[in-house]
Amino acid sequence: MANRFTILKNSKIRYFDTLLLLILMLIIIFGLVMLYSVSSYDGSVNYGDSAYYLKRQLGATVFGLILMGIVAFLPYHLWEKLRVFVYLFAVLMLLLIIPFGTRVNGAKRWIYIGGVSIQPAEIAKFAIVVLLAQLLVRLGSKINSWKGLLVAVAPSVPLIGMIYIITGNLSSAIIVAAITFVLCFVASSDYKKFLIVILALIAIAALYIFIVVKNNEGGMGFRGERILAWLDPDAYASGKGYQTLQALYAIGSGGFMGKGIGESMQKLGYIPEAQNDMIFAIICEEIGFIGAVCIIVMFLLLIWRFVIIATNAPDLYGALLVVGVMSHIAIQVILNIAVVTNTIPNTGISLPFISYGGSSVVILLIEIGLVLSVQRSIKYRDVV
Amino acid sequence: MKNNDRRKFTMKMQKKLMVLFLVVAALFLFLIFRLYTITRDNGDSYRRQILSQQKYDSTVIPYKRGSILDTNGSVLASSEKVYNIILDSVALAKNAENPETTFQTLRTELGIDVTKARDYFEANKEKSRYYVVAKKFTYDQVQPLMELLDDKESDVTGLWFEDEYQRVYPGGTLACDVIGYTTSDNSGLYGLEQYYNAELSGVPGRTYGYMNEEGSLERTTVPAEDGNSIVTTIDANIQSVVEKYLRKFNEQYANNAHFGNGANNVGCIIMNVHNGEVLAMASYPDYDLNNVRDKSKLIGRQLLTEDGKYAYDEETGTKIYITEENVDSIEGDALYKNFDALWKNYCISDAYEPGSVSKPLTVASAIESGAITGNETYDCGGFLEIGGHKIHCHNRYGDGRLTVTEGVERSCNVAMMHIAQAMGVRNFTKFQHIFNLGLKTNIDLSGEARTNTLIYTASNMNASELATCSFGQGYNCTMIQMISAFSSLINGGYYYEPHMVKKIINSSGATIENIEPRLLKQTISQETSNKIIEMCNQVVTGEYGTGKTARPAGYIIGGKTGTAQTLPRGNGEYVVSFLGYAPYDDPEIAIYVVVDRPNVFAQDDAKYATRIVRSILTEVLPYLGIFQTEELSEKEKKELEELQIELITPQRNEEEEENPENAEGGEEQQPEEPAPSNNEIWKTFKIDPVTGYAIDPNTGDYVDPVTGATIGYKMEENVQTDENGNQTFSNENNIKVAGEGSNNGEDEDAPW
Repeated sequence: MANRFTILKNSKIRYFDTLLLLILMLIIIFGLVMLYSVSSYDGSVNYGDSAYYLKRQLGATVFGLILMGIVAFLPYHLWEKLRVFVYLFAVLMLLLIIPFGTRVNGAKRWIYIGGVSIQPAEIAKFAIVVLLAQLLVRLGSKINSWKGLLVAVAPSVPLIGMIYIITGNLSSAIIVAAITFVLCFVASSDYKKFLIVILALIAIAALYIFIVVKNNEGGMGFRGERILAWLDPDAYASGKGYQTLQALYAIGSGGFMGKGIGESMQKLGYIPEAQNDMIFAIICEEIGFIGAVCIIVMFLLLIWRFVIIATNAPDLYGALLVVGVMSHIAIQVILNIAVVTNTIPNTGISLPFISYGGSSVVILLIEIGLVLSVQRSIKYRDVV
Repeated sequence: MKNNDRRKFTMKMQKKLMVLFLVVAALFLFLIFRLYTITRDNGDSYRRQILSQQKYDSTVIPYKRGSILDTNGSVLASSEKVYNIILDSVALAKNAENPETTFQTLRTELGIDVTKARDYFEANKEKSRYYVVAKKFTYDQVQPLMELLDDKESDVTGLWFEDEYQRVYPGGTLACDVIGYTTSDNSGLYGLEQYYNAELSGVPGRTYGYMNEEGSLERTTVPAEDGNSIVTTIDANIQSVVEKYLRKFNEQYANNAHFGNGANNVGCIIMNVHNGEVLAMASYPDYDLNNVRDKSKLIGRQLLTEDGKYAYDEETGTKIYITEENVDSIEGDALYKNFDALWKNYCISDAYEPGSVSKPLTVASAIESGAITGNETYDCGGFLEIGGHKIHCHNRYGDGRLTVTEGVERSCNVAMMHIAQAMGVRNFTKFQHIFNLGLKTNIDLSGEARTNTLIYTASNMNASELATCSFGQGYNCTMIQMISAFSSLINGGYYYEPHMVKKIINSSGATIENIEPRLLKQTISQETSNKIIEMCNQVVTGEYGTGKTARPAGYIIGGKTGTAQTLPRGNGEYVVSFLGYAPYDDPEIAIYVVVDRPNVFAQDDAKYATRIVRSILTEVLPYLGIFQTEELSEKEKKELEELQIELITPQRNEEEEENPENAEGGEEQQPEEPAPSNNEIWKTFKIDPVTGYAIDPNTGDYVDPVTGATIGYKMEENVQTDENGNQTFSNENNIKVAGEGSNNGEDEDAPW
């Protein structure tokens, strides 16, 4: 406390967002509890250790928290200098998948380094935030023109292409694209162009769906089948609709109050990868609608803290960094829950801080570190 | 820093950020709404869906419940794999040329009535894959069918087998009260099955299937973990000898004085006095563990009503017994109560007034507390007046001057009352506590009765209660309490916690836990113990000993008889017992037989118990390697030879049972050497040729020709008024029965 007063005397009091950290810790701890509940059966069956997933996730979380602390104490302008390096590193990692990637569940998405598996697509998400924020600062008001917008989007395109082509991971590609979109939207003063882009995307999606439905019989690849399963999961109950349908069963059977933590039946092998993308379904089953709403509200509060920090950021770069991180988290939460509730077709997107996945949680925590770093440089007089 | 690097986050951008936030919030809200609609609209149907697929995709693998073994490893209870035959209608319709072949095979091979299965198959050809055709076949039975199913040539198909375990009790009724039984869902009820349920139970395994990302079914199996087995201290050989003689007793006395079993209950415990291991524990009536709901086993018992009290005829007020005619009319709660009474273990669950077998406890307490030395003499005039009540000795004519030893030998109440008076209420109740009376023995069986409210405490015991408690009337105990306390009297004063299980082994036979004897306390000193042994030996060997008939040929044993009145006093109903040990000089085992209301006209005769003890010990002592020490008389030799023949050729068993009365009767009337003295006037009474008892010419009462005990005597009389005869024992009614095993406790009329 004494420290605080001295800072105040120098009128250099530093703003510190305790609430942000508190919400974050709540989400992380809750996530670990739920992860253990969901994965213990799978862990004991496949690895003979019910805490198998928990231990690994806990390790990644602790590692991530340490990195978060380091990043939080580094001045965020450092990333302005490192941005190209980070970007190239992400590209390199993606390329390394081609020779060294490990195939898990039919998809080549991971690289093993010293016994630790890394998902390069996660690094790409961080890289695009760091790079694009600086680019948008430099572009300034040029972003308002179509040409400027194209310049801003340019670095994202190769990343999105590589993620989709090399790893076949559509969801990560969508997330990188969405982060780009949101950052550009906030940086520009225009609404019209973005509305046009959204409407165009919706039109394309609708057309695609229409074609898929038309050519029902003719093999449209597994993506086509996913669309069909989305429209009518019951009809594809034993195929592509299985996971979604089981998730819906989980949500529905949980009711409003849930079955109680640890009581889920669907996690006993019925929902494939329950500890990953479908963890939210099990959360709904165990703690019910009420519990699920609490989780969503926690995420909303977290995002609200980002808005506050971005608004008070000392400069544009800092603000855009925060907006990038915010969009990353918000998009993943929205898409994940949308998939679980069958609002959009099934595509593998993990729930931030809660789903099992080391790379994801480490990158997310580093990003939180970025936000904290920005937030640390807010002076009290700057606070509105 | 460059200028453009320090550009601010403009108001416009802040506004856009707010728009963005609102969009995010709106999307969140929309998702919450989605969740809400899913929960609201589909909650119930999805819940059902989950349960139904649970059954379809995953199967439980049953575990094998652990066995119960006797001390030598013989199986008392085990679980055997049985096979249920399941019909897969879809597969049968698809693969069989003629489905009828399969049904015919089932009929011829296993004798199953297949009409139902056939109808079901016809109706569900397209959809059903699971229909239980028949249950519980052994491997030998289904083995030919398995071969046919594997045989590609045969047209038998569409069937598979589901494993299950069935609890089997090879001994049937053997040790039924000790073992208890298992319900079909593998949970133990009564006895060891209940007490050790957690040990015996395993963990069921599971085979479950799920769809992987390619949409194909994957199966994973978690194997079942079998339960642990328990090795009991019961010796099946001793146990079956005990049960044989309890059954014989019943055959002999059933439907004797009235319709019904030979006694309400007959119980027997044999215990190793040096470690508290129970070698045998049995009670009659028994029941078949493989068929526990066999109503015919209830026949001969006194009928219980729905609230667990004895039923009485409304008009005549007489007891109602369960007969072949009325057994089928017992239903619902009443049936359960009657079964419960049958299933529970009399030896641990029922409390009763022990009577004179407790006299050694009284004497030991008095010596140990220093109130007497054991060398005192007491004058018995046939009764003692305490607190205005005349409390009688069972020998109303008085035994004259008796030493303490003679008091025990002749089971003199007056001597005991004097001894108890000398020691006082405080010491008496203190020693009851030391002997664990009123406390659970914590034997490892389920259903042990609580008797804490059935004994007096120092604060609520008055002089007359002290007097009656000195000879075992007025308080209640269970058989296991009494034999455990008595064992400590004769083994040098060591009170062991009685126990039934000595070892727990896992499914592969490795020992998990050895259960060592638990020495709880020293009740009395070695010297006192030696004195008690001397006194108790006199009961069997002494001239006036009440327990002579308990002595097996060729052995000397010690012990104490008991003849306890039940409530209400004067109902002519008695609990007779014998609590003994062998060998007499260095006791190794203790044996306790209690006959609860023998089905005879004059119940107050401990010989009903001593004869059972004699028969059991005659076979058990040689088995235990205890050698004969005494010369055999001609008669005894002949008897033993007959027993040998009986044991070798069981056919003769039935022939001999036709006239067992004569064989036993002869011994009963065995003329004692006349040793008349002044105070033994009963020896001058005329012997009634029908009953074998002497008749008192003054009162017309039957009198035991040896001990002088009046048969059907009333121990106590109210000196003041005869009408209020019950008042002398009015305190009895204040003792509430809280024991689990006492279902008739609050019923005043209920006999103990």
